[in-house]
Amino acid sequence: MAGQVATGSRSGLRSALPLLLPAYLWLTVAIFLPLSAMVFFSFMTELPLSGKAWSFTLDNYATFFSQGLYWTLLLASLRLGLEVTLWCVVIGYPAAYVLAKVLRGRSREAIFLLVILPFWSNGLVRIFSWAMVLREGGILDTALNAVLPFKINIDLMYSYPAVIIGLVHSYVPYMVLTCYLTLQAIDDSLIEAGRSLGASRLQMLKRVIIPLSMPGLVAGAALIFVPVVGSFMEPRILGGRTGTFYGTVIEDQFVAVFNWPLGAALSFILLAVVLVILALASPVLRRAA
Amino acid sequence: MRMPKLTAFLTATAVFTSVLTLAATAAEVHVLNWKGYGADEPWAIAAFEKVTGNKVVNDFFNSEQEMLTKLRTNPGLYDVVMINAAFNDQAMAEKLIQPIDVSKIPNYADISPDKAGSPMLVRDGKVHGVPWVWGLTALAINEKAFETPPTSIAEMWNEAHKGRVTIRDDAVEAVQFGAIATGQNINDVRDMEAVKAKLTSLMPQIKTFWSSENDWNQMVASNQIDIGTYWSGSADRAKTHFKLPVSLVIPGEGAVAWLDAFSIPVGAKNVAGAEAFINYMIDPKFYVEWVTKVGAPVSANAKAVAALPEDAFNRKVMGDPDVAKRIQFQAPISDAQREAYLALWQELKVNVK
Amino acid sequence: MATTRFLEWCGRLYIWLLLAFLYLPIIIMALMSFNVSPFYQLPFEWTTEWYASLWQNDQLISATWNSIKIAIISTIIATVLGSAASLALYRHEFRGKKVLQALLFPPIAIPWLITGTAMLIFFFGVGIGRGLFAILLGHVALALPYVIVVVSARLQTFAPELEEAARSLGANQWQVTSRVTLPWIMPGVIAGGLFAFAVSFDQFVVSYFLSTPGQTTLPVEIYAAIRKGFTPEINAVSTIIIVVSMALMLLTARFFKFGGEK
Repeated sequence: MAGQVATGSRSGLRSALPLLLPAYLWLTVAIFLPLSAMVFFSFMTELPLSGKAWSFTLDNYATFFSQGLYWTLLLASLRLGLEVTLWCVVIGYPAAYVLAKVLRGRSREAIFLLVILPFWSNGLVRIFSWAMVLREGGILDTALNAVLPFKINIDLMYSYPAVIIGLVHSYVPYMVLTCYLTLQAIDDSLIEAGRSLGASRLQMLKRVIIPLSMPGLVAGAALIFVPVVGSFMEPRILGGRTGTFYGTVIEDQFVAVFNWPLGAALSFILLAVVLVILALASPVLRRAA
Repeated sequence: MRMPKLTAFLTATAVFTSVLTLAATAAEVHVLNWKGYGADEPWAIAAFEKVTGNKVVNDFFNSEQEMLTKLRTNPGLYDVVMINAAFNDQAMAEKLIQPIDVSKIPNYADISPDKAGSPMLVRDGKVHGVPWVWGLTALAINEKAFETPPTSIAEMWNEAHKGRVTIRDDAVEAVQFGAIATGQNINDVRDMEAVKAKLTSLMPQIKTFWSSENDWNQMVASNQIDIGTYWSGSADRAKTHFKLPVSLVIPGEGAVAWLDAFSIPVGAKNVAGAEAFINYMIDPKFYVEWVTKVGAPVSANAKAVAALPEDAFNRKVMGDPDVAKRIQFQAPISDAQREAYLALWQELKVNVK
Repeated sequence: MATTRFLEWCGRLYIWLLLAFLYLPIIIMALMSFNVSPFYQLPFEWTTEWYASLWQNDQLISATWNSIKIAIISTIIATVLGSAASLALYRHEFRGKKVLQALLFPPIAIPWLITGTAMLIFFFGVGIGRGLFAILLGHVALALPYVIVVVSARLQTFAPELEEAARSLGANQWQVTSRVTLPWIMPGVIAGGLFAFAVSFDQFVVSYFLSTPGQTTLPVEIYAAIRKGFTPEINAVSTIIIVVSMALMLLTARFFKFGGEK
C-alpha cells in the first residue's frame, strides 16, 4: 500500500522491529515459506511426492505463453476484477460518505457493524440464495413481473451479470469500510470553510473530499481487485457456461489433475501481473490525490 | 503492546493443546471416503461400533487427487480408504496401499467374480482393493419435461432442450461421454476430433455444469433443466429419498460404469479393525438398510443385491443382463491422458464464453 | 438549507437500499431454514424440523463451536499483530519497506487453494502437521494482510504532529500510542478485526486441508455436505449465528463508541 513518508520518528528498521516482527514472522512461517515451496515446485517437471523422477524446467511458465487459452482467460479475469472494483466504488463510496458525514451517533456505529455482518455467514450458502433470486421464476423475476404492467423474463442465473452481482455483493463492504475510515477523518470544519468561501458541492468533492479519502479508496480497491482476479468459486457456480476464468483453470490443475507445477506457475504469473498493475496504478492514483 | 499479544498467544495454545489431547486412542478405525457415501451413516457407525467395539472416525475428500494427496501427506493416519478402481493402480504404484488378506473378510467370498477378479484391483495374485459398490454415469431426466423417457443419448442434442441440458464439470467424464456418443470405446478413444466436434455441438445446449449431487437436485427442483448426465445411485436417491421427478435413463448407446473399492493404506495402525469395517460395509444387512434408508449404488456383493426386493431399481434395472452388455467400465487413465482431456475440456469451455 | 436536508434524506435512503442489497441473501437463507424442501423448492411450507434436527447433529454443532473459537482467537491475534505492524510501517522509514508492503499481497492474490496446499505440504514437512493449531496458524496469516491494509489506510489520515505534541508534553512512547494514536486508529482496528473474523469464519480451503478427521470447522462441514447431504440445517445454524451476532453487535453499538470522534 501507499508508502507515504511518515514524518514521525525516522529511526529506521531497528526501532520498527519490535512492532513489525511478530506479524511478519507469523506470515513467514504460515505463508511465505509454504509459498516458497510452491515456487520451487513450479520449476519442476514432476512432484517429488509422487515418487517419479523429476528435474528442473521452465516449461510450466512457457505453457502460459504458448497457449492462447491462458492469456485469454487472464484478460477475462482482469476485466472481471476491474468491473467488480468499479461497481464497488460506485456503490460503496457514496454509502461510506453518508455513513461518515450524514449519519450521527449510535445509528452510525450500528450500521458500521451491520455492513460487514452478512459476511459472517457462509459464502456457499449466500451463493445458493443468489440462485433463488436470479433464476427464471425466482424472486427478482416474480417481483418485477408483479409490479410491471408487461411480462418480462428475467433469468440472470448462470450468466456473466450473475457473477458480477455475486462478487460485488461479497466485496462492497470492503469499499464501504475502508472509504469510511478516511472520509470520517476529514474535518467537517474544513468542508464548511470551503463552502463558505463559495466552493460548490461538486468542487469540494473533487478538490478536497476525494483527494483526502484517496488512501481508503486505494486500500479498498486493492482488497477487492486482487482476490477477484483469482476467484473461482463464484464464477463457477453463478456463471454456469460462462463461468470459466483464470482462477478456475488453476483450480483444475490442482483438483482434476495432479499437475501442481503448472497450477503453481499459473498462480505466480497471476501474482506477478497483479503486483505490476498495483505498482503502476499507485503513482497514478497518488498523483490524482 | 507486548502483554496482550503474549496472553492471547498463551490462551490460544492452552485451548488447543487441551483439545488435541482428545485425539488418538486405541481401537479407532480412521476411514477416508466421500462425504455422505455410506461409510458415515450414523446408524451404520453405531451398529458397527456395537458389534466390534471399534470407534469409527470419518474423514472426507472432494476429489480423487485430494484423496491421494491426503494419503501421501498423512502416512499412518488412515486405516481404510475408499478408492475408485481406476485410481487403485496409481495408489499401489506409489506404495500408498497394502495387499489385503481376504481370508479375514468373510463376505469377500460372496463378491461377484467379475468384480473381485478385476485386474484393476488384483495384481500378482495380491488383492489391493475389495470391491464395494458400482454404478453408472448415465442420463437422468426431469420427468416433467418428457411424456415418454428417451432411449438415445442424442436427446441431449435435441433443439427442444436448448439451454436446459447439464453435464458434469469433469474433463474425463465429458470425454468418455463424448466417446459413447460417437460410438467409441471409452478406454481407448481413437478419434479425439470426433469427440471434440460432438462436445462442441453440445455446448450451446448447456445451462450450466454441475459438480455436486446437490446442484443437480436443486436445478431439477426449480425446474431449470430437462436432461443431463447423472450418477445412477444419485438419481435413485433423488427419486426415492427426496421425491424429486427424476428418472435414470441408460441410453441404447451405452453408459460409463465405475467401481468403488476399499483399500488399506500402508502404515495403517488398526488393520484388524479395517478388515472388520470392510467386511461390514459389504455385508448384505448393511447394504439393504443403506438402499432403503438413503439410496445407494449397486453392491458388488451378489448376495447383497439378491437381498433387495425383486422390483428394486438396483436389482431389476442394474442387474438386467441387457444393461450389462451396454455399459463400459472405466479403466485406469494415465496422467498424460488426463491432462490432454483437461486441455480439451478447458478449450471447449473457453470457446463457449 | 432545504437542499442539504433533501440530500441527507437521499443519503439515508441510499444506506437502507445498500443494506437491503447486502441482506437479501441472508433473508433468503433464513427463510429457507424454515422451508420443508431441502432444495429451496417453492411454494414455501413452514417447518422447524431443520432446527430440531440441528439440535441432534453433534458433528455440525461441534464444527460450529470450533469455527467460532478459531475465528475469535485468530481475530484477536491478527488484529493485535496487524495493528502493531501497521504502526511500525507508518512510523518508521527503512530500506525494504516497500517490499514488506508488497509482501502483503501474495496471501490475498494467490488463490486460497494454492496457499492451502502449500501450507499442508510445508506443515507436514516441518512437523507442525494438521489440527486446530495448524488451522489457527493459517487463519491468522490469511487475516493479517487485511488488518494491516485497513489499519494503514486509517493511519494515513493521522496527523503525526499529534504524536509530536504529546511527546513534547512529556508523554512516553507507550502513553503516546495508547492515548493519542490508538484512539484515532480505533475505527480502523475495529474494521480490520471485523474483516479478520469474516476471513477466518468463512475460510474453507485452508481449514479443509489442515483439519483432522473428527475435528473440523463449519465451512468444511458445509462444503463436504453439498456433495451429497446438504440440508437446511446449515441454513439454520447460519441463521442462528447471524441473529446472535447481530444482537451482540447492536448491543455493542449501543454502549461503545468506536466509529471515530464526533
